[in-house]
Amino acid sequence: MSAPGGLSLYRRVTGLVAAVMAVTGIGLGVVAASYARGAADDAYDRLMVAAALQIAESVYTQDGRLLADPPFSAFETLALAPDDRVFYAVAGPDGAVLTGYDDLPPAVRVDPPGAGSAVGDGTFRGVPVRVAAARRYIPDAATPGWVRVALAQTNEARGALARDLTVKALALLAVMMLLGFLAALAAVRLALAPLARVERTMCERDPKDLAPLAIETPREIGALVGAINGFTTRLSRHQAVLQRFVAEASHQIRTPLAALSSQVEMLAWSETGTGPEAEERRARLTRIRARTRELARLTNQLLDHAMVSHRIESVPFAPVDLAELGRQVLRDAASSAVGSLSAPFELDLAFEGPETPVLVLGDAISLREALGNLVGNAIKHGARARLEIAVRDLGRLGEIAVIDDGPGIPPEDRERVTRPFEGGPGRGERGEGAQKGAGLGLSIASDVVAAHGGRLAFATLADGRFSVSLTIPAAVATARAA
Amino acid sequence: MSRAFRLAAGLVLALLLGMGAARAIETHRFPAPGAEAVSLNLHAATDVAAMRPLIEDFQATRPDVGITYTEYVTAELFDRMRVACEGAGGVDLVLSSSVDQLVKLVNDGCAEKLGLASTGLPRWTRWRDELFGFTFEPAVIVYNRDAVRPEDVRRTRAELIDLLRADPERYAGRIGTYDVTSSGIGYLFSAYDARAGAVFGRVMEALGRARVSLSCCTTDILDALSAGRLAIGYNLLGSYAVAAVRAGAPLRVVIPRDYTLVLSRAIFVPKRAPHTEAARAFVAYLLSARGQARARETSFAFGFDGNTVPEADGPALPPASAILRPIEISPELLAIQDRAKRARLLGDWRSAVGAPVEAGAR
Repeated sequence: MSAPGGLSLYRRVTGLVAAVMAVTGIGLGVVAASYARGAADDAYDRLMVAAALQIAESVYTQDGRLLADPPFSAFETLALAPDDRVFYAVAGPDGAVLTGYDDLPPAVRVDPPGAGSAVGDGTFRGVPVRVAAARRYIPDAATPGWVRVALAQTNEARGALARDLTVKALALLAVMMLLGFLAALAAVRLALAPLARVERTMCERDPKDLAPLAIETPREIGALVGAINGFTTRLSRHQAVLQRFVAEASHQIRTPLAALSSQVEMLAWSETGTGPEAEERRARLTRIRARTRELARLTNQLLDHAMVSHRIESVPFAPVDLAELGRQVLRDAASSAVGSLSAPFELDLAFEGPETPVLVLGDAISLREALGNLVGNAIKHGARARLEIAVRDLGRLGEIAVIDDGPGIPPEDRERVTRPFEGGPGRGERGEGAQKGAGLGLSIASDVVAAHGGRLAFATLADGRFSVSLTIPAAVATARAA
Repeated sequence: MSRAFRLAAGLVLALLLGMGAARAIETHRFPAPGAEAVSLNLHAATDVAAMRPLIEDFQATRPDVGITYTEYVTAELFDRMRVACEGAGGVDLVLSSSVDQLVKLVNDGCAEKLGLASTGLPRWTRWRDELFGFTFEPAVIVYNRDAVRPEDVRRTRAELIDLLRADPERYAGRIGTYDVTSSGIGYLFSAYDARAGAVFGRVMEALGRARVSLSCCTTDILDALSAGRLAIGYNLLGSYAVAAVRAGAPLRVVIPRDYTLVLSRAIFVPKRAPHTEAARAFVAYLLSARGQARARETSFAFGFDGNTVPEADGPALPPASAILRPIEISPELLAIQDRAKRARLLGDWRSAVGAPVEAGAR
């Protein structure tokens, strides 16, 4: 799914999800802590306000004098924050402290806006405290006015509650985040599953099969499958066009070339003059004839190559008998050699192989073309007096070899000569003129054998003869393997 | 300490108090049994005789600690500590039965946190990990066996009121209780009595009509009861009463059956105490199983399990008991310390008891 060095899509998505969750988690944690603080403040503020109101309620007048009697219940209410210190002051309308802490500073005494109560933060005796204030109007005092109660309490209980709430919220948050992350992982895997299916289908598919993919995919992946299908369609169309062009071009060139060739032949025969000028003309004609023949050969090979390339890309394989193939090619070689001007010498053709068929899985026409090219090469460049086709059954493989008594190809050139237009100049050439390699024979043979899953090998035998062999998986072995 | 000495000490105390010039009453030295490394300065409003067995047992576990024990009455200790709290007082431990005063001191930031939260004692005995109650002391009614007929022994406050009403002259002048204006425990008990219900007002009224004898200190009242000068003592510290019975006094200790106030004597280590570690070790000892067992064997007969004591006539007081009214060491006690409330409670008390009576036992 990922190109080497490319980032995994899965990892990228999970990384993104993790990053988003981490940021969200931190944000929610901060919010949770703030809410917890607020909730704890709210809970204990209510207790403080209740206590302050109770104390305010306890103020009474006796003979016009203001008196306070802070009730037990107010302190019991405050003791619900069990370990917190409590400071309070009850002040009359004139500001004189009736009871409590005289030094509870006015700054800490929150003045409620109305007749009710208020809360705030402050510091008393160097300790941070929460402050609640309440006031009550006393009409029957000597000087009627507001009695104010200031209540300060340390923050231990509310801090503990806030911490407790925060920890619980964070634990819940952590569990939720973990579940969310796992769900995201699962979702990403699920979302990427069709991609894996496409990949598997593509891998398992026969390379020759350029038909559109028919996979059930979600809409999001549908576009990708469509693109792949579009591409393969264009590719197959393009391939067909190219092959048709090469085939047609070769075919179109062949006809005028044949005419040209015969004209040159005729011209050569008709040149019967003597003298240095005539000699000169004859030599030129000979060179033209050789070049023309080379051109014809090349054109044929191009045509063959196009044909073979097309076949091995598109024709399904079937069992082929290598022995029969060898005999056939040998017969063709014999007949063509008779008519060919290119072999004006005696050549023994021999076949060695079992009577029983040696079956391999392949395309008979391509294989015949490959073998024909090897034989053609051997006649043209190698064989001096004898050419042999040897077929062997190697069990899981079938082997067919073209063996000649020529000089062979030097080991250092063997790899190079299987590439198109890399004929072997190292190979002794005979016939007229110095034909440069520029051949496709070995290249075609190499492509065909590669398409069959086999290999092409060069060897110098013990008796000094040169062998080019094709080994191809046997039909039975392939069937078994499949 | 012999009774004679105690009486003498009481007389000295009365004299000193009468002169209004007293500060430290007695100083006792408990030298370390081993090589003394630390000398703790313990200021207490508790009879040294009650604390002596505990101090000596503690010193068996910590032979390097010597203790200087300075004994105060509660109000004196409170005044001393309010001053000491401001600056370095050189005090390592403060121990008092007037827990409301201790709560006030702790609330004002005088105490050090000790890290002793997980003791086996009930939650109501400790506050802020700074102040720790270590005794279980019911407020009891004490009768002189010779002066009160067994059939006259009353076990609830309502019955006591009925007894006094039925025959006002029989016990006139022979009932003793604390003078709440001078006794911290008396004030504490009466405040909680007043809080517990309306019956207390009638008790005070009845006591006032019977010309109650008022005293500053538990030992004074117990001595007067033992000597037969008083017949009934109301709201006395049960632990001291049981100790007196164990010492042979002809007393009957009754735990009230309507409700029972329970006080827990408390201790704290002041901030900037010179020897915090050893002081903490002493507090930890008092709270430990060993310290608790020792306290029950010797000075403070009652335990936190609330089991009955042979010398006391009354119900068991398990933690779930409905009649148990512990004086919780918590900010609640700040209400007791509120000066307006105190003024009002004292006013109510005075008007109930009648004109302030200067007791003969004082």
